[in-house]
Amino acid sequence: MSLKLDPTTSIHRRLLVLLLPPLALLMVAGGFADYRASMVFMRTAYDQSLADAAFAQAALLRVVDGKIYAQLPVPAQPSMHATRTEKFYYSIWGPDNTLIIGNPQLRETFAGEGNPAYADSWLGSHRIRLVTYRAATTAGVATVIVAETTSRREAARHFILTSTWLMDFILIDSTLLLVWIGVRYGLKPLLAVRGQIESRSPRELRPLDTSGVPAEVRPLVDALNGLFEVLREAARSQRQFVADAAHQLRTPIAGLVGHLELLTQDPAAAGLESRLAVLRDGMSRVAHSANQLLALARAEPSANLADHFQDTDLVPLVERVIERNFDRSVKARLDLGADLAAASVAGSAWLIEDLLGNLVDNAINYTPAGGHVTVRCGGGTSEPYLEVEDDGPGIPEAERGRVRQRFYRLPGSQGHGCGLGLAIVEEIARLHRAAVTIDAGAGDHGTRIRVQFPALPAARQGKTANAVTP
Amino acid sequence: MRILVVEDNDLVADAIARGLGIAGFAVDRAPSAELAATALAAEHFDLAVVDIGLPGEDGLTFVRRLRSQGSTLPVLILTARETVAMRVEALDLGADDFLMKPFEQSELAARCRALIRRANLNTNGQLNFGSRLRIDVAGRQLRIDDKPVELTGREWLVLECLAFSAGRVVSKERLQQAIARWDQAMTPNAVEVYVSRVRAKLADAALIRTVRGLGYRLDEPEA
Repeated sequence: MSLKLDPTTSIHRRLLVLLLPPLALLMVAGGFADYRASMVFMRTAYDQSLADAAFAQAALLRVVDGKIYAQLPVPAQPSMHATRTEKFYYSIWGPDNTLIIGNPQLRETFAGEGNPAYADSWLGSHRIRLVTYRAATTAGVATVIVAETTSRREAARHFILTSTWLMDFILIDSTLLLVWIGVRYGLKPLLAVRGQIESRSPRELRPLDTSGVPAEVRPLVDALNGLFEVLREAARSQRQFVADAAHQLRTPIAGLVGHLELLTQDPAAAGLESRLAVLRDGMSRVAHSANQLLALARAEPSANLADHFQDTDLVPLVERVIERNFDRSVKARLDLGADLAAASVAGSAWLIEDLLGNLVDNAINYTPAGGHVTVRCGGGTSEPYLEVEDDGPGIPEAERGRVRQRFYRLPGSQGHGCGLGLAIVEEIARLHRAAVTIDAGAGDHGTRIRVQFPALPAARQGKTANAVTP
Repeated sequence: MRILVVEDNDLVADAIARGLGIAGFAVDRAPSAELAATALAAEHFDLAVVDIGLPGEDGLTFVRRLRSQGSTLPVLILTARETVAMRVEALDLGADDFLMKPFEQSELAARCRALIRRANLNTNGQLNFGSRLRIDVAGRQLRIDDKPVELTGREWLVLECLAFSAGRVVSKERLQQAIARWDQAMTPNAVEVYVSRVRAKLADAALIRTVRGLGYRLDEPEA
């Protein structure tokens, strides 16, 4: 874990970085202090018992004729042997530093200050702890030195060290674990909000659910919802504007188209046919664009909620689209046909008709006379699809991505298109969570566009109704 | 055949009136629902073409009132603003057909002819198709250029089925069901056989177009 904290560091990491290392340090220091305290306590206790031994020795000193005698016979020493491993030494010295009794080697290790005074030393190869007690007698000061090897102390120190560190280790680990769990759990509502935002499609403008949002984040979520509302409203008014504009245009366009058509047939316009044809062509482009803009506005996701989707049978839908486009295919000398199998999707029949209408429209526009356009559906309820295949010039592989963009037209392409057709298809497909794939048709000729819909929810399968009748 | 065009936009009304005039209809114009009602009360019309967005009473209300008065006059609705609800409502209210602006004059004329044809069939059992085809449904007789043409029973059922839905696609299944009354073991191939026989007998007086994978459509011959 890096210790670097900049403002973009996640709160989760920030909390952990700010909490875990100081806590760990604090607990290590606490453990150390514990150890030190236990050690002092232990040493004092052992020193005390060592001193008691020295006091006992001193109490047994006798002065006879101005000379100090130790009454203690050597065999009395074992009472001080607490353990078999521990070695015990003593020596008693007179005022003139003459050995009265005991181990003469203890002499060199005379301790300094205090009475009794303690010191650590060596006796031969043994590490010892010794106490020096100066006892005043009528014959002067006698010095009692008692020493013991340190194996008991070492054992105790080891025990203290081990138990302190073991306790500390458990304590540190469980504290860190608790902090980690606490931070995680504490941030859960925040993560829930993040999950909610992440799981949305970027175009979705529905307000976020504010239930279960912690108080600190609530203003943020509220602000987001406010923003969504503004965006929704903007999208709605833009859509309304486009729809209004398209509607307003349609009536005069209808009049102009009608008059131009009549004029073309009028004998009085003889000789103007080519110029009238240019006008009619332009006019029908305007009409087509107005229709397409309206269709696009209608397909905007903000205009359509998935809640409004109904189970839709694709077979009658394809039949309607073919019927509507059949005259145009006859006029263009194309063979427009169908290859139908059962297929049902959850969606808006109206929009799917727009989608298919655009695909068929494109196929008719771009397939030369004598060609074939085939509309297929199938896949039942588990993998329903729509497909339109033509044997026209096809779309080069490099262009297949770009033809989906709004207002993009293939370089040098013929026909009345305004470049919105596939954009509308994309928009409607996205709304239905359907995937659009553009391929070459059979035998690598022409174009095959497939719209693969998601499976109809199992609970609703078998109850498919046709949502819109023509 | 007389048609009343109820449309407030002069440009559109004028184009429709001229176009339908050229197509052989007598056309009267009314710029509002109120004036249309007056015209309908005074004269006989075979069809009304009604725009939805009329000033004053709108087109849908007009159709509803017409139907509530018991009129069976065929009505074709024109609209610039399409919504599912509006389309469904118009048809529910008793409009017979629905056309989006802008439209082609030929499309409008074809729809008008189909509506009038259907209305005639309902009133006198006569189906006139194009200028040469006369189908007497009640008398089970087909005349082309006033000459009677003999049809077998199944051929007649095929023609009847197509003619009732002239201009619209009739599915192969529907034809199969229509003639299965005569022969339970009718196969789709048999339908093709009967259709091609009827097609041959109609010669160039009418067209039976094949809609691949769907069915057939009876059309007027191409000019």
